[in-house]
Amino acid sequence: MEPNGQQFHVVGSRVPRVDALEKVTGRARYTADVHLPGLLYGVFVRSPYAHARITRIDVSKARALPGVMAVMTQQDLTEDQALVIQEEVHATRRVLNLFATDKVTYQGQKIAAIAAVSREIAEDAVRLVEVEYDPLPAYIDPRDAAKPETTMIYDDRQPVIGPHGETLHNVAGESHHQIGDVDQGFRDADRIFEDTYIVHRAHQTYIEPQSCIAEVGPDGKVTVWSSTQGHFAVRANISSSLGIPLSQINSIGMTIGGGFGAKFGGIIDTYAVLLAQKTRRPVKIVYTREEEFLDARPAPGAVITIKTGVTHDGTITARQAFALWDPGIGSGGCGATGRIQGVYSIPNVKWDAYDIHTNKPAPGAYRAPGAPQATFASESQLNRIAHELGIDPVELRLKNMREGDQVDFKATLKAVADHVGWWQREHDTGPNQGWGVAVGEWTNGAGPGAAVVSIHEDGSVSVFSGLMDITGTDSAMAVIAAEVLGVEYQRVKVIRGDTDSAPYATASGGSVITFSMGNAVLRAAEEARERILALAAEQFAVPVDRLELRDGQVVDRDHPENAMSLAEAARLGMRTIGGPIVGRGAFAAQPSATTIAAQIAKVEVNPDTGQVRLLKYVGSLDVGRAIYALGVEGQMEGGAVQGFSWGLMEQMQYAIDGRNANPNLLDYRIPTAMDVPYVESVLVEVPTKNGPFGCKGVGEPPIAPGIAVVAGAIHDAIGVWCNEAPITPERVVMACQERKDGVRG
Amino acid sequence: MAKDRHEEQRPPSRAPNPVSSTISRRGFLKGIGTGAITAAVAPAVLMTQPDTADAQTLPGITQAQITLKVNGKPYKVDVESRTTLLSVLREKLDLTGAKLVCDRGECGGCTVLMDGKPVYACMMLALDAQGHEITTIEGLAAGDRLHPIQEAFIEHDALMCGFCTPGFVVAIKGLLDKTPNPTLDDIKRGVSGNICRCGTYPRVFQAALTAAQKMRKGG
Repeated sequence: MEPNGQQFHVVGSRVPRVDALEKVTGRARYTADVHLPGLLYGVFVRSPYAHARITRIDVSKARALPGVMAVMTQQDLTEDQALVIQEEVHATRRVLNLFATDKVTYQGQKIAAIAAVSREIAEDAVRLVEVEYDPLPAYIDPRDAAKPETTMIYDDRQPVIGPHGETLHNVAGESHHQIGDVDQGFRDADRIFEDTYIVHRAHQTYIEPQSCIAEVGPDGKVTVWSSTQGHFAVRANISSSLGIPLSQINSIGMTIGGGFGAKFGGIIDTYAVLLAQKTRRPVKIVYTREEEFLDARPAPGAVITIKTGVTHDGTITARQAFALWDPGIGSGGCGATGRIQGVYSIPNVKWDAYDIHTNKPAPGAYRAPGAPQATFASESQLNRIAHELGIDPVELRLKNMREGDQVDFKATLKAVADHVGWWQREHDTGPNQGWGVAVGEWTNGAGPGAAVVSIHEDGSVSVFSGLMDITGTDSAMAVIAAEVLGVEYQRVKVIRGDTDSAPYATASGGSVITFSMGNAVLRAAEEARERILALAAEQFAVPVDRLELRDGQVVDRDHPENAMSLAEAARLGMRTIGGPIVGRGAFAAQPSATTIAAQIAKVEVNPDTGQVRLLKYVGSLDVGRAIYALGVEGQMEGGAVQGFSWGLMEQMQYAIDGRNANPNLLDYRIPTAMDVPYVESVLVEVPTKNGPFGCKGVGEPPIAPGIAVVAGAIHDAIGVWCNEAPITPERVVMACQERKDGVRG
Repeated sequence: MAKDRHEEQRPPSRAPNPVSSTISRRGFLKGIGTGAITAAVAPAVLMTQPDTADAQTLPGITQAQITLKVNGKPYKVDVESRTTLLSVLREKLDLTGAKLVCDRGECGGCTVLMDGKPVYACMMLALDAQGHEITTIEGLAAGDRLHPIQEAFIEHDALMCGFCTPGFVVAIKGLLDKTPNPTLDDIKRGVSGNICRCGTYPRVFQAALTAAQKMRKGG
């Protein structure tokens, strides 16, 4: 029995994933596992320079290599085959060529695409393409790129005047906001803290690289198989980039080997279609790991200066930030500066933030986009304030937290603190060990989608929709249908349709799916249930409100001898005018509720080597309602790992000429089994009004606090603040040295 | 031991030049295959001309027909000197459980067993796999009966996106066949050459411990 009196038979139980069997046997089919007769392999010719003028491109030798079926450059395209990017703030419209022609603006930019009968021959052909460059100076730090003496990476950019009257160059986007009066807020403060925090670019590092296969039929109809979080988004991208009508594209979403925000299409699918159109043979493109680092869509870096005013008792009176984000040649990021408000009641808030172009690939979404960067600044500084004021960092947060709607910020923070024994932690702390705490907030999005639930004549159930499973959502849909229809979870099949067959489904990002598609499935299952109950009521000649569905049966509460299995009901349906039993459900959007992720780490730091060892990592999350409990825990653990990993080891490194210095998994380090401690999850359930069974989106929030958590723990262990992430051993040692030298305290 | 695998197969040190060079370590390995072919393929029939109509390779690349024993069955396959074992498994035998992730022995997504020992199939030339017993994820279950490691992965929910899962399962089989009663540390070392981005490591450790127990009791 749940605290609010609701009783569930499947919701919240620990059932196995619907896709577990095919995944442990290696039978799950991912995009690269698809082989088609006559398949060609697509590869790219890329710029070795981050910034250069192109003086000559000659593909003739590559075209002449036997086994090469197509070599395409911008010259082979029509004018309307391009990526169109609208930018609202400065009302600019940029049409990005699919291939570079006269200038490259980042290393790895595509210059030509090649299709050949084998991957090896395609790679041989790449070496035969001759391109000559005239290198230009590259900008890798947004602070440099913004200076008035720089040239514009895009010729059409105008200088922008910043909040203090300074001239900013290479501005790609802006975000400004003001609540109350920060000047007054700072006058009301007893102490004012100002710190600058730097977060470097991180790559989502999904294990399955970007993969796509395209085929063009004799009628010109395009079929695309891809690794994507939204196959409807892939269809839309291809349509708008290549001018192909939606009805002429069928997009098939294969099992996805991780995406974390980076797989919404646009990186390779358009090129696979172009090559397939040209050769009239199916073309497969699978990124190498190096290509992932050179030309995918990683998370932007940021330099955030944050100023906070507090009274002696720890009450926050004002908070202000100035931030420069690093979106490379794209835009997006600076709006997330607004997360400096956090879950606190701050009367005066102001931020001015800019996206500044650098010579790096455009950014993409990465799990709670922008939140880890902004939260590092705001929560790390809060830890410093707590330390300076001599107030416990959990107490300081509880003191300033606002009351949330459909969320309990304080209970969630207290839950994790109690779980780790926060208040008695001095008894569990050895030399050079320390504890860190931080919280992050996030509100899941919502998007349109529809689903169909069918009851089969053996009493089994299928849920059909166009939703892309990203690790747990299919299982959540099975739980929802099983709960509504009173059947065993194992009796529900979840089936994903391609874009030709399935109704529209919003893409799986922004923690939207269990909230949005969950509502569609809930409504579809409810409609099927109503139909079953109506049929049974007629059969038994009893009022429908006496009937209920449970344990795979329709039962009359007053006369239990009136019972009918779901299988019988399904067969009965076939003999009636209404026909087989199906339910349809659709959802557009409804307001969701904010959630909070609170996390605590215990670390041990070697002050001589700077090595940080994580001893314990515990997170709590207000999940609303854990529908698929194992999936929720998996998201909490996985998000936590990615958060602290960004805090300790992940950084895309760029040489001074703008070239990526660590484009592989040895030099771009993500955690292995040796790096990850036991990660524990504490679930808090404050149900929401609009989520199915009260759920919230849980995928993204757990990554938000991680960097600040480890920074706080390192300070607690050895007494130095590290304000640049990832906090690598080098940075720890440098911070210790600077403290010794008296540069910082 | 898995630890050896780690040491043997990972390049010994970081590249001195931070900027990626045009010749990768990976490409170098494949290039070595070209030169070493006479020594490596004594049992194979060498062909200097390609056997497919529209395919032709650059000079120096040689083709051969070899026999590989995979999951107990022999397969005759045509390979180039530079073809990796992983490429044969995936492209020619349609055994797609082993994944191409990094193509240079950094992630373990392509882990298979060679004579019971975990190896990175992306770092092994097909020619060098001749005469050895290769076991892939597809060879673990006995018909419909899952291997205890696979059962334990389901029981402990030791997977999310599943892309790294075959590699982890195979690596653990290699470990448990040699070390039937492993400590947590043994397990961590046993899978230290495999990367999971979804962050399921703790559940993988639990699954390995449970599987070891089941296997000791006879599966």
